[in-house]
Formats: sequence, structure tokens, C-alpha cells
Amino acid sequence: MSTENDFDMDMIETLGPEFTVFVGLLLIMVVPNLGNGTFRIPGTPIRLPWFLGGTRFKAVASPRLPGLLAVLTMALALFQVVWYLLDATPADGQDIMAGGVFIFKVNMFSRIFEAIFFAALLLAAIASLDRLPIGSQKSDDIDVLFNNRRQADFYILMLTSALGMSVVALAQDMFVLFVGLELASFSTYILVAFHKESRAGSEGGAKYFIVGSVASAVGLYGLSMLYLWAGSLQFHELAAHWEAQGATSLSMMALGFVLVGFAFKISAAPFHFAAPDAYSGANSPVAGVLATASKAMGMLGLMRVLLIITVPEATADGSAIWIGLLGILAAVTMTWGNIAALGSENPKRMLAYSSVAHAGYMLAALTAIGAWNWGLVDNAGVAMDVVVAALLFHMFVLVFFKLGAFLVLGVLEMEGGASRLSSLAGLGKREPLLAVAMFLFMISLAGVPPMAGFLSKLLVIMGIVEVATGTGSLSSIGDAHWVWWLALLMVINSAISMFYYLRIGVVMYFHEPEEGRKGPLASGASIRIAIALCAIGTVAFGLVGGELIDLCRDAAESLR
Amino acid sequence: MGGTSETISSTFIEYAIFIVLLPMLAFPIILFLGHIFNGNQTWVKSAKEGGLIALPIMVASFVLSMLLISEFIGKGTGGHHIGDWLSFGWMSADGLKIEGKAFGVGIYIDHITVMLLFVASFLCMLINIFSIGYMNTDPVNDNRNHRFYAEFVLFCSGMLGMVLADSFLWLFIFWELMGLCSYLLIGFYYEKPSAAYAAKKAFLTTRVGDVFLVIGLVMLWNLFDSLDYAVVFNEDLIAAVDPGQLQLALGMMFIGAVGKSAQFPLHVWLPDAMEGPTPVSALIHAATMVNAGLYLVARMFPFFGAEAMHGELVDLAFIIAVIGGITAVMAAAIAFVQDDLKKVLAYSTMSQLAYIFTGLGAALWLANSLDWHHDSKAHDIVVVAFGAALFHLFNHAMAKGMLFMASGSVIHEMHHAHHDLHHHDDHGDHGDDHHDDHHDDHFDAQSMENMGGLASKMPITATAMLVGSASIMGLPLIGGFWSKEGIIANTWRVALDDPRFFLPAACVLLGAAMTGFYMSRMWFKTFAGKPKTEVAAKVHEHTPWIPIPLVTLTFVSLSSVILAGMMFTHWAGEPDGGYAFFSKKGMLKGLIYEFEHVFVNSDPFFFILTYVAIFIGAIVGPGMAMALYGGSLEDGEKAKPWMQPIINLSSRVNAKRGFDNSAWANSGLSNALKERLYFDKWYDAAMLKLVAGFANISAAFDRNVVDGTIKTIESTSQKLSTQVRRLTTGSARDYIMMAALGVLVIYLLLEVMI
Repeated sequence: MSTENDFDMDMIETLGPEFTVFVGLLLIMVVPNLGNGTFRIPGTPIRLPWFLGGTRFKAVASPRLPGLLAVLTMALALFQVVWYLLDATPADGQDIMAGGVFIFKVNMFSRIFEAIFFAALLLAAIASLDRLPIGSQKSDDIDVLFNNRRQADFYILMLTSALGMSVVALAQDMFVLFVGLELASFSTYILVAFHKESRAGSEGGAKYFIVGSVASAVGLYGLSMLYLWAGSLQFHELAAHWEAQGATSLSMMALGFVLVGFAFKISAAPFHFAAPDAYSGANSPVAGVLATASKAMGMLGLMRVLLIITVPEATADGSAIWIGLLGILAAVTMTWGNIAALGSENPKRMLAYSSVAHAGYMLAALTAIGAWNWGLVDNAGVAMDVVVAALLFHMFVLVFFKLGAFLVLGVLEMEGGASRLSSLAGLGKREPLLAVAMFLFMISLAGVPPMAGFLSKLLVIMGIVEVATGTGSLSSIGDAHWVWWLALLMVINSAISMFYYLRIGVVMYFHEPEEGRKGPLASGASIRIAIALCAIGTVAFGLVGGELIDLCRDAAESLR
Repeated sequence: MGGTSETISSTFIEYAIFIVLLPMLAFPIILFLGHIFNGNQTWVKSAKEGGLIALPIMVASFVLSMLLISEFIGKGTGGHHIGDWLSFGWMSADGLKIEGKAFGVGIYIDHITVMLLFVASFLCMLINIFSIGYMNTDPVNDNRNHRFYAEFVLFCSGMLGMVLADSFLWLFIFWELMGLCSYLLIGFYYEKPSAAYAAKKAFLTTRVGDVFLVIGLVMLWNLFDSLDYAVVFNEDLIAAVDPGQLQLALGMMFIGAVGKSAQFPLHVWLPDAMEGPTPVSALIHAATMVNAGLYLVARMFPFFGAEAMHGELVDLAFIIAVIGGITAVMAAAIAFVQDDLKKVLAYSTMSQLAYIFTGLGAALWLANSLDWHHDSKAHDIVVVAFGAALFHLFNHAMAKGMLFMASGSVIHEMHHAHHDLHHHDDHGDHGDDHHDDHHDDHFDAQSMENMGGLASKMPITATAMLVGSASIMGLPLIGGFWSKEGIIANTWRVALDDPRFFLPAACVLLGAAMTGFYMSRMWFKTFAGKPKTEVAAKVHEHTPWIPIPLVTLTFVSLSSVILAGMMFTHWAGEPDGGYAFFSKKGMLKGLIYEFEHVFVNSDPFFFILTYVAIFIGAIVGPGMAMALYGGSLEDGEKAKPWMQPIINLSSRVNAKRGFDNSAWANSGLSNALKERLYFDKWYDAAMLKLVAGFANISAAFDRNVVDGTIKTIESTSQKLSTQVRRLTTGSARDYIMMAALGVLVIYLLLEVMI
């Protein structure tokens, strides 16, 4: 454990991925504007070239440049994060301090979240190279020109959201965390509404912004109460204060409000209402990011608050004080999401509801962690690690199949929309490989072996059952902790979800294509590469997930 | 891994696995090559669409088998050898295999294996040769013969594997592989509804037996904790099991054998199976696969022979014998009225297999009730009884394989003659419709009503058919005579001790006469008399490849006397290898011994019985057939010198003793026989009433209750889903209100918790 106080080369090295994103951000802003512009020294005729504005250099004038820069940046950042993860041990950790205040902490736990964020954003950026149309540079068409100009905006927002998310991952202070959260959130609000010409896009973006703002405001209110209560927003101080004072009216109210802020991010019921609108209005890659990276960010916030700050407090039976609340939230969320998804005719809304259901599964896992210290569990730490690792694994592999499913819809959007189930009709004949990939994603979402989705769901359920039953021998299931019922509810919900996931398969393979969609699909190599990567990840982590699970275990261990 | 439960005393046992593996590997090769080169001239002409890939493989299998067999016989000790290649077992602490818990791949070689291995590999090879002549010259098969050869080699692999298997489990696996190939090959002309129906019928009927076989095997496993021969044949272990349960298990397995060997009441599939190409009928439905059931029963010998089971299993032995007896008479009777050449042979096969079952039943009864472990006279009786059944299996396989190939030759040449006759004048359009004319007109090339007088036109075929028929009929000194006498004698021997056996004993004696009649009828109708159609008059033998197996098997059938002289029955029946194949008695002494035994038996009962059997089988039966169907050839036609006297005799008998049998031919019995005693109708009706009725009920249950429940759940949850989604109004105001509600609920919950 080392501490960095000064802004120097060591710190840059420690925060390598974040600085990479930052530099990439600056480059996207600056590079496309490089030209033969000059600067006249006032009062003199001397013109000094300063390379901004004027006629842009040919090399940087390509509208593809921002996208490529973004992909490169994200790839580099992801590479660094993965490099760190492969190298590190759970005991590693570096604190970044400023003026005696802990700002960031770099360890395996924060890095694995960054890996999730960067992986999702990288895949989305690759896919967006095709999804965001770029016209011919020679064209005088105003729309084409317009689209070409907007390229930089889009990728800048992607990188700022990446930056915001990594700040959330590293933060050691509730306020820093909140700033990162808002940076990421605002970027995504705009990304959702990026197609402002379309009604659905701007409407979805506006709703997402309004409801999100309310949630943030409530969360911020909770933070202010926490500050009032503890006099600090530093994690370690909050934890110490909680241990000393226990739950008071003020702290509990603060906790509830903070919970609301994060619950919106993970789209837990009943704060999820804006999500289906936002997902269906947004670009598919952006919707995919919302459903994976953004959700992981909210989950991260919840874990920080619930596990680090409040877990030391325990109720009479040894489980955390918030466990009942979270259990109800989990049960309602997963059931609501699945039932709503059942009848949804819009595949993007269906995926949105399915992601609500997945949020419920995650909350169930988190609830189980809350029971970490109750009577029957012998070695509480290990049991907790198991569930945290399962949760991390779930969020990690979710990137591949959830995002992948959105990307397949993205291909359909390129030829004019994917807002009806029938848009997928006949995909099996039109582009068999794409249909196979979509089918893989669906059965992985449903949790069919040997897909990654099966393994992750299995790990979560097994983790919950392990915590609930403990290592002691139970005489009957009635003696187990009640979180056991959440595992059962998960199984029932998975069975329900099978219906709407497999329906996609039926539509793809057995229905005739819609009028006007008979021919081949829109071309685009990058989005297909991204889909292929997702498909490979979905299958590979399902078959040989051991390495990743070990990594998640280490990351979970570093949380303690 | 590896190791043996007995020392490997053989070199070639190490290579024996290739006997099975080579054909199995040839299967995908032929299939894929055929797919790739379909229609390619080199493929058609030089490789015979896979025929010449299959042939070397089958020759190699045969050579390996012969090396193995000669080594086994050369050792002269008999007994059994076991070779293991792989065994997966629970390892005990000292690393030794715990016997009975291991799952392994290996072979088990004893006298039964050796005999059947020779039959299978030899006939597979010969029929492969025959197929090249038969299949590749028929245009209807063009461009799909590779499928035939691929399935053919896969079948051979299954048969050889079953014979070599070292456990009942592997026996069953290969048994099923054969069942699959049988299905595929019967349905080779799947575009014909009758062929597709026959394939289904064969598959499903044998499936009935197989279900029982599986039950039997599970029961056996339950008794012994293993299905390895090495374990289940262990006398000490047999002594430890309950005889009643063992009898039940073996009985269940016997039902499987009944299905596979087409015995009453699961016999209905075999005649229909003749829809397959003739080589398939020859190989699968006459010479090899149908013997699997017999092999399975023969494999049960150690249970019956065990001292601990003394007298406990006689009921099962009786059941085996009586099923055989009933089938023998029933099938022979149906064969009386069949006009289709192949159908006659099919019923004959059924009847002869039934003979062998009866023989096995008698032998098993003897083994189970005589004190043959200590009494050397009883020992001889048991060994000879068992050996006679196995010898008949051998003789029948050779003869019936040959008969089917000969019938194929006849049918093939009839086709060609018919084709030449009716399409000779319109040479102009010999293109596409050439392909179709085989099946689109009503001429039946298989019906004996269209034949007659072929003896002079197809001398090789007629000779083969003559020898084959004589062997099946058991004409003295030829082929099946040596074994059939043994079966009849031993069944009667049992009947003297156990009155229940009078039924099968009477059946086999009656069957001998019936066999004489229907086999002679077939030969005379086909080869003697005047040609009944102009097609038959134009027939001549000219297809290459076909005569090779016919000539070979003719000599094998004739030389059965040599095998008898080599004390085949003693050798084959002896479980502990007391007799060397070339026994010390020497060939001549052996022959004399056999002759004495058969013709001048010192026991007056058996002396009389022998001559009764010879009389009715070789004189009464054929005599009737001559009287009804005999006749001289067309003027100027002359058959070979060894057939001419027979034809002349038949024509004389026909002239002198000929009588009108139209009253018989139109009687109710005859019609019932033509309808195969209504078995198929009854089975169909039973299926429709019982099975289809039950199926309808369960379908209704499925539709209304199961689907109904699911559909109710589905529609309910869809309605719920609509309600839930209705909350998503699309208005941000409502969303915030819901969020506020959520905050309130959270607040209240937290208040409650503190």
C-alpha cells in the first residue's frame, strides 16, 4: 500500500489508464481542428502560425478521425487496465491523496470495474464507427455535412463518460464519487438524445435527463445529510463514524436517499421508468453502454456505500441493517422487469426490461452479501468474497452478451429501425451469422449452458445459497437465512425470462422478413467485428471462465 | 489401462480390433468420397461407387479374422481368451482393477465367437463381391451406390463387433448398430412407400424385443454388478445369484433375441424386409444379423451349464424350444403359398432359425438337467446337442446367403431380360426413361409365376440354388443334413425325459417334411418346367462378379461333410475345449464315426427317428413338390448333367402322380397362409385400437391439460405484463411520481427497521 501526494510522474504512472483517456479526450478536441490558421500579433502585421482553424490539414480532416482516436484511446486504456489486473495481487493498492484527503484508491477492485467500463465503451465505440453515418467528404448535402461535423461530439462524450466512470471506480470520497457519477451521467444524457432529429431520441433523452436529475438531486440531498451526520464524506471516516454511532434517524435517512440516486443508475424498480424510453430512443451502442457500463457504475456506488460504509453495523442476527430493504427492492425489481419484458413488442424495450431484471439479480446478490456475518456463516469473509466475485463476474460477462444484443439491433437500425419485434424476422436467412450471434446472446441472457450467462447466474445463485445455508449443517431449509428465497425467486424469474428471450429466436428463424427488408443487411465491418468479439466473449467465458473467476475473486478480496 | 484378465496367449488378438475398426472407418470415407465424386466417371467405373473401396476392407477384415481363428484353432485348447484394449475402472488402492466395476473395450474369443466370426467375415466379403455385380449394373441405383456401400460396411462393423464383444453391453451396442443399418438398408429405396414402410416396421418390431433385452441386461447387471463375460460366466458368481431372478433376466434377453431373429410372435418384419436390395436380404436378413439372436441365446450356455443352476432353468429352455418349434411350422406353412422368390426364402429363413432355436433350447435343457460335469456320457450328449445347433447355424448361414444371392441373380437377369425384350425396338430414346422403366410397369421380376425352365439358361445359379436347397432341406450328406439330424434327434431325446418337449419335437419333425416341400417347390417352379413368360425364355446369365460367391458357397455347402468329419459339432459345442478341431481320431475315422452315428445308431429309437426324418424330408416333401410343380424343360434345352436327372425325375413324377390341388389352393387355410395367418392385420388392429387409442388420449391430455396449463400461464402473464407496462405511461411526470413513491416506501421501510 503506497500513497501518492504529489502530482508527478509516479502519479501519472499509477493513473495511467485515466490519463490515457484524458489525453485522448484532448486529442479528439484538438486534432480535428488543426489547420493552417495563423495568429496576428496585435498591432503588428506579423502572423504567427498556431495551427488551429483556417483550412484544416488534409490528414486530420477525415470525419472518421475522432472515432478512430476514441477507439484507440479506449483500447489503450483497456490494455493498461488488463495489464494491471493480470499483474496485481489482492494486497496491492495505492492511495492518491490531496491535502490530506483520500481522493482515489487504485486496487484490483476499482480496476476490474474500469475494465468493465472500458470494455463496454470500446465495443460501443467500434460499433459506432458504422452506426453513426459518415457521408462522403465531397458531398454538399447539408445532412451529410452535419453528421460529419458531429462525429467529434459523439466520441468526446463517450470519452468523458469513460472518464467519469473511472473516477467513480477510483473514488474514496463520496463527493468525488458524485462528481464522477454526474460527469458520466451528463455525458450519457446527451448521448441518448444524440439523434435529436428523431422524436424518440430527443424525447427519451429529455425524460432520462429529468428523471435522472431528480434521482441525483435526491442522492445529493442524502449526501448532504451524511455530511451533516459525520462531518466528512471520506469513506473511511464515514465507516468509522457508522461503527461508532450506528444507525440513527439521520444516517438512515441519508442512506435511503443515497440509495435512490444509485438505484436510478442501475434502473431498479420503481426508479427504472425512464430506462425503456431512453434505451429505445438512443443509438443501440449507447443503449448497450447504458445497460452495461452505466449499470455497473451504479452497482459500484451501491457496493461502496452498503459494503464499505454500513456493513460494520450489524443487526441482532449478524446481517446488515439494510438487508430487508434491499431484499424487497431486489425481489420487486427482478419480477417487475421480467413480467414487463414478457409482452414487450419492441426489442429494445424488451432488452431494457431484461436489464431491469438483471439489476434485480444483482441486488439479490448484494442482499446476500448483507447476510455475510449472520449466525451460520463460519468464515464470513470468504463467503462474502464468493458472492462479490460472482457479482463482478456477472457484470463483466454481461458486457458481452447484453451489449452484443444491442449491437445486433444496431445493425438493423442502420437499415431503418429496430423498434418492432418483426424487424428481426427472417434474420436467420438474411444473415445467418448475425442471427447465430443474436441467438447466442439471447440464450446467454436466459442463462443456458454453456454460455457465460449461465455461469454467471449459476455463480450468483450458488453464492446466495452458500451464504444462506452457511457451512453448518441445516436440518431443514426453513433454518436457512431468508435470502435463500431470493435465489429461488431468481430461478423462477429465469424460467419466465426464457419465454421472451427464445421468442427472439423464433422470430429470427421462423418468421418471414418484413416488407422491404428482404435483401441483405446494411454493410459495415466494424460493427460486425464488435459483435463477433461479443459472441466470442460470450462463449469463451462460459466455457473457460475459470481465469476470470479467479481474477474476480482476487478483486473481491481486495475490497476488504 | 490395458492389461488382461487372462494372459494374452495370442498375437493376432492384439490386432483383432481392426476387424471391427476397418469397416467402421470405411463408412465415413465411402460416404464422403461418394458425396464429393458423385457421378464422376472414375468413381463410377474404377471405384464402383465405393464397392471397390469396401471390398479390400472386407478382405482385410476376413484375413485378420482367419489369422485369429487359425491361431485359436492351432492352439487346440479351446477355452476362451480375452483381450483388453482399454478399460476404465474404479482403481483400488493397489492399482488393480476391481473386477466387475470396470467399463472396458475388449474381445472375448471362444469356439462360438470363432465360428460366428468366420461366418460373418466370410459372408460379408462374398456378399460385397456379389453387390458389385448386382447393385452397380442396375441403373436405378446409379449415383447412390456409395450410400449402399457405406451402410454395408457399417453393418459389417456392427456384426463383427457384436461377435467379438467381451461383454453383453458391447454386444448390445453393436446389436443396435446393426438394427440401425438394417433400417437404413431396408429403406434404401426410400422413395418407394412400401420400402419406407418395411423399414419402419422392421425397426419398430425389433425395438419391442430390444426394450426387453435392455430390461434383461439391467437385471443381469443388478445380479452381477457387471455385464462382462469374464464376470458373469464365472461359476462362483453364478452360484451366488438367485436362479429365479436369473431365469427372468435371461428370459427378458431371450425376447430381444426373438425380435432380432424374427421368431413368433415378433416375426412380422422379416418378410417385409425383403423390400431392401437383394444383397441386403442375403447379408442381413439371412446370413448374419438374424443370427444375432441365436448368438445371444448361445452365449447364455454358461448359465445353463453351471452346476449351481442344475435343473433351475429348464422352463426357459422349454420356452426357447417351443417358440422355435411353433415358428418352424408356422413359417414353413406360410412359405407353401408364397409366389415371390425372396418371400419364400424369407419364410424359410424364419423356419430354419426356429430350428436352431429349438436345437438350442434342447441343448440348454440337457445342459441344465444332466450331470454333465462329472458323467462323461452326459457330457458328450450336451456337447453334441449344443454343437448341432451351432453347426446348423453355420450351415444355414452359408446356404441361405447363397440362396439369396442366387435368387438375386435370377431376379437381376429377369429384369435385364424384361428390359431387353420391351425396350429393344425403341433404341432411339434410350436416355432418361431408361432410368425409370424398372419400376413403372407391372411386370414382377420376383414372382415365380413368371419364371420356369431357367435351369438350362442359368446353370451356375441353378446349381447354387440346388445345392443350397438341398442343404436347407437336409438331403443326406449335403450341408444342413449333418446338423439337422442332430437337432431333431436331441429334441426327441429331451422329449423322452420331459413330455412338454413333445410339442417342439413334433414340430421339428413336421417341419422337416414341410421344408422339403417348399424348397423343392421353389426350385422346380423356378428352374424346371417350361418358361411361363416370354421374359423367362430370354433370360441368360451374363452379369460379372455374381458367379464368384455362388460358386464359392456351393463348394462350402458341399464340403460340410468334411467339417462334420472334423467333428465340428463336438468342437463347437465343447465349452472347455476338450476337442481339437482336427481331432486325434483323424478325418477318416471322424467321418466313419459320424456316419455310424447318423445312419446306424445303436439306439433303436434314434435309428428309426433318423430314417423317418430322412424319409419325410428327402422323399415325401420333394415328392409332393415334384408331383405338383415338376416338368421337363423346353424341347431342345438341356440342363447340366447333374441337374438333368432331377428335372427328368420331376417330369416323370408330375406325369404319373400329378394331382389337382386347386381345392387346396382355394381353401380357407391357403388364403389364411397367403395373408400370413393374419398376424399383420391383428397387429395393425391392435396398434390402431390400443396404441393409437392410448396415443389419442395422451395427445388430448397433452393438448388440454399440459398445453392448457402452459397457455393459461402464458396468457395470464401476458395480461399481467400489459398491466405492468401500462404503468410506463411515457410521461416524465408520472415517472417522477413513481420514483417519489419509491423514496417514500424506502423511507418507511428504514423507519420500520431502526
